[in-house]
Amino acid sequence: MADAPRQNFFNLIRVQKDLEKIAGEALMRTPRLQEVVAEIAELERDAQDFILHWTEVITLSNHELAAHFLAQAPAAFRALDKAAVEDWVIKAMDAFDNRGLGFAIEVFDRLEPWIEAHTQNLTACALDQVAGFLRHFVRALGGRTLVIASDPQTYTDTEKIFLPAMLNQLGDRDGNARLMKCTAVYLWAQNRYGTWRYRALEEAIRQLDAALSWPVYQRLEAVRLRAAIAHELPGLAREMEAMAYLDDAHRAAWTRFATAANALTAPGASAHDSLALVADFMHTPLPAPLCWQGEMLPQKVREALFRRVPREKEALQQALSELQPEHAQHPEGEEGEQTPGAEAANRFSVSRQGGEGEAQNELRYDGQPVPLTAELQDLLDSIMQDVGELTDDYLTPAGGSGAYPLDGSGGPETYLNDLPSPAGKLYLYPEWDYARQRFRDAFCALTEQDVPEGDAAFVEKTRLKYRGLAKSIQRIFEAILSEAQRQRRQVHGDEIDLDALVEAHVDRLMGREMPDRLYTHFRKSGRSVAVMFMVDMSGSTKGWINDAERESLILLCEALQVLGDSYAIYGFSGRTNKRCEVYRVKTFNEPFSTRVERRISGIAPKAYTRMGVAVRHLGKLLGDVPARTRLLITLSDGKPEDYGSYRGRYGIEDTRHALLEIKRSGIHPFCITIDREAQSYLPHMYGASNFTVVDEVAKLPWKVADIYRRLTT
Amino acid sequence: MSDIDHASARMITDAPYYEPVGKEREVFTAAYRNQLPILLKGPTGCGKTRFVHHMAWQLKRPLVTVACHDDLTAADLVGRFLVKGGETEWVDGPLAQAVRMGAICYLDEVVEARKDTTVVIHPLCDDRRILPIDKLGEVLTVPPEFSLVISYNPGYQSVLKDLKQSTRQRFVALEFNYPEPALEQRIVEAEGGLPAEMAARLVKFGAHTRNLKGAGLEEGASTRLLVNAGKLINGGVAPAVACDTAVAHALTDDPELLQTIHELASAVF
Repeated sequence: MADAPRQNFFNLIRVQKDLEKIAGEALMRTPRLQEVVAEIAELERDAQDFILHWTEVITLSNHELAAHFLAQAPAAFRALDKAAVEDWVIKAMDAFDNRGLGFAIEVFDRLEPWIEAHTQNLTACALDQVAGFLRHFVRALGGRTLVIASDPQTYTDTEKIFLPAMLNQLGDRDGNARLMKCTAVYLWAQNRYGTWRYRALEEAIRQLDAALSWPVYQRLEAVRLRAAIAHELPGLAREMEAMAYLDDAHRAAWTRFATAANALTAPGASAHDSLALVADFMHTPLPAPLCWQGEMLPQKVREALFRRVPREKEALQQALSELQPEHAQHPEGEEGEQTPGAEAANRFSVSRQGGEGEAQNELRYDGQPVPLTAELQDLLDSIMQDVGELTDDYLTPAGGSGAYPLDGSGGPETYLNDLPSPAGKLYLYPEWDYARQRFRDAFCALTEQDVPEGDAAFVEKTRLKYRGLAKSIQRIFEAILSEAQRQRRQVHGDEIDLDALVEAHVDRLMGREMPDRLYTHFRKSGRSVAVMFMVDMSGSTKGWINDAERESLILLCEALQVLGDSYAIYGFSGRTNKRCEVYRVKTFNEPFSTRVERRISGIAPKAYTRMGVAVRHLGKLLGDVPARTRLLITLSDGKPEDYGSYRGRYGIEDTRHALLEIKRSGIHPFCITIDREAQSYLPHMYGASNFTVVDEVAKLPWKVADIYRRLTT
Repeated sequence: MSDIDHASARMITDAPYYEPVGKEREVFTAAYRNQLPILLKGPTGCGKTRFVHHMAWQLKRPLVTVACHDDLTAADLVGRFLVKGGETEWVDGPLAQAVRMGAICYLDEVVEARKDTTVVIHPLCDDRRILPIDKLGEVLTVPPEFSLVISYNPGYQSVLKDLKQSTRQRFVALEFNYPEPALEQRIVEAEGGLPAEMAARLVKFGAHTRNLKGAGLEEGASTRLLVNAGKLINGGVAPAVACDTAVAHALTDDPELLQTIHELASAVF
């Protein structure tokens, strides 16, 4: 017998014996037993051991199932690697545990589809895997912030970029990921370089018909946008070029087409130029779309545009009306000297520098540049992206800038008499009225209430869900403690303080008394931090925001136990000045307990966000705690807002005033919010660097802990 | 070494390259002439330190720079006794040196220093203009040529590292930010030794990364990082690699953001 066959024979015997030993009964149920054993004998020793091990394990659960596993195992190993086979086995075992034998057997028997899906998984690119990167990338490229979302159709509606959930056009995952990126960039370019500018869109919808001329327009725009990308982002353009074509014929067709439409590659070419060319190209053969071109869905864009344009117009007018008084104070008699044209007097204008796509928009008042907040700049950019140039009505400040008339009619007092008094001890707080520039004394009535205890299961679920994260937060917090400071000049300590020693020596030589504080000492618990978490319980937090808030608190409480910082948690809400409420979740004196946990779980959305009074009350509680550093951290989902007139600037100014009051008493306020528009009012309320916007609710638990660490070290 | 030797060693002889952004040179000079201390605010890498060097050169004063850290004590600034062969000898700290030689003393990132150090600079910064040295029982009167300049980055969010009102209200404050694209391009050209086209691309790349501020990055690429990348490119490193090493990894460790910045670099070149 030659060596190899003999070896095979021995393998066969060994496998057979091993199997009999561990799974006698299962073997009897295995169809084609001899064949299967022979197939197993031919596998690598590693694979054989794997099969033997799992046969033994599965046999402990069910013989029948083990038989099905054995029958399929060799085939599985021929097609998949060990990790994939293991996934397959685990899936079957899970099915067995959760759904019963029938389902588990089905998993083993349906090996073919499993292999197919697995191979596809190896090459396909799932949007989930690249969405985070794409979001950053598209944002970094500039222009209006676009959300990456998944949809069967690939297009942009000027708010979102829709990409397929799974892309598998090319043979490898990396290629598919790059194709996904090129698609996102092309759709970004449509937004950035004016394909969807209001007038161009309307004209295109009017002139073109879906079946015949849209496809022509779509290709002409592709020529124009590629040139724009090549001008701005040459490296990216090269990559897109490399991924654009199906084959050489496709490439040649596009080259012919692009040469014919060469006029569109000139810098400054606009969507109108493409539109003007459509008629000339109606009879030119069209190349197939580029691989990353996506679709154009003008109606979807139109819907988004119609939603956004009036909203942004109003926001701009509102912003201008607030800017105007500041700038109107310049002497008016000298307009002629100050401004280039007399007609520009007392008016806003916008000037635009730079070409299509990279323009800088500058707001001027009477010809003088007006410094813009980041938010106003974004708003202006977004509007310019839609309309190209601003007509006068955009630049007319909204009439009446106050939240309510200056005489106070219609103000919060109107509601004073409508509501019954709440029970419990009543605290009265003043409220700042920015229009009057004075306090409304004892205007807000506030009560403290306990949060009803909630479901303990939520706590367990959160612990389970974030067990990895909880550990890493814990470790980070422990690290804070260990990086505690070295104290100098101690009577006892772990090292000699050389400076102190030298000075002592000097003193001795000079005949003075020698000090005895000659050591350094590492102190580990030098923290003296008290922190108040003020949790938004307004109705708008309903759903996952509320969940995220509660999850964050549970994780944070555990970690705070490590630090030993003194902390309290209160929720706040309210409906009118007469019924402001704060909810006790944990007071400073109360230890962390299961009751506190249950109260956290019981935090539920209530009414509105009357924030100023809550800041004043909780600030006062915090002020009573002896600590070197006092922090008031607000978890919130939006701007202050209450029934009646506590909205817009009124609410913001009152909250700002309340924050300034507590700042004066030595408390550092900080705000964590998930409101994307927070940039417009938070810097004003909290100061430029005293807040953070968390862009994804799911990241809140991690962010809260991370921010806490940064704030207090 | 005598004070004069110290001073000449700290003179800046060659003009440091600096592009003015606004009226900061005029303000600095006026404050200097009126013996007002100066506070420079701004994000890291926007040119604060370079500006101080430039002004020291322009005003022909020696420059004493102290990079502050969290173990920097008042004694480190003012001075201390050292033991030499059984004898004790007083050694001036950088601040006392600067006062004696009438230099410009620059405390970089002053919030990093321990709180007690800021108290030492208080009597220097108001109309008293004195530096008491307790251990010597001496009070140095500050000559008119002396000037104190401190810098800090208001973007840091730790409440423990904020400048106290009592300190900041003694200073004339100059705010710095990243320069306009055209100016930044000139800087990258001059400092990195790059052709205009390449510098423009680098600046564009920098602007893209700054779009990510607040959306993952704490800060976008500073002018300094762009200059660093420019120098690497000038030294023969491929642009994408230079951006990766000089910018991306300097900004973040987050894999997703690293990938983003990497792709941005290959996009603009």
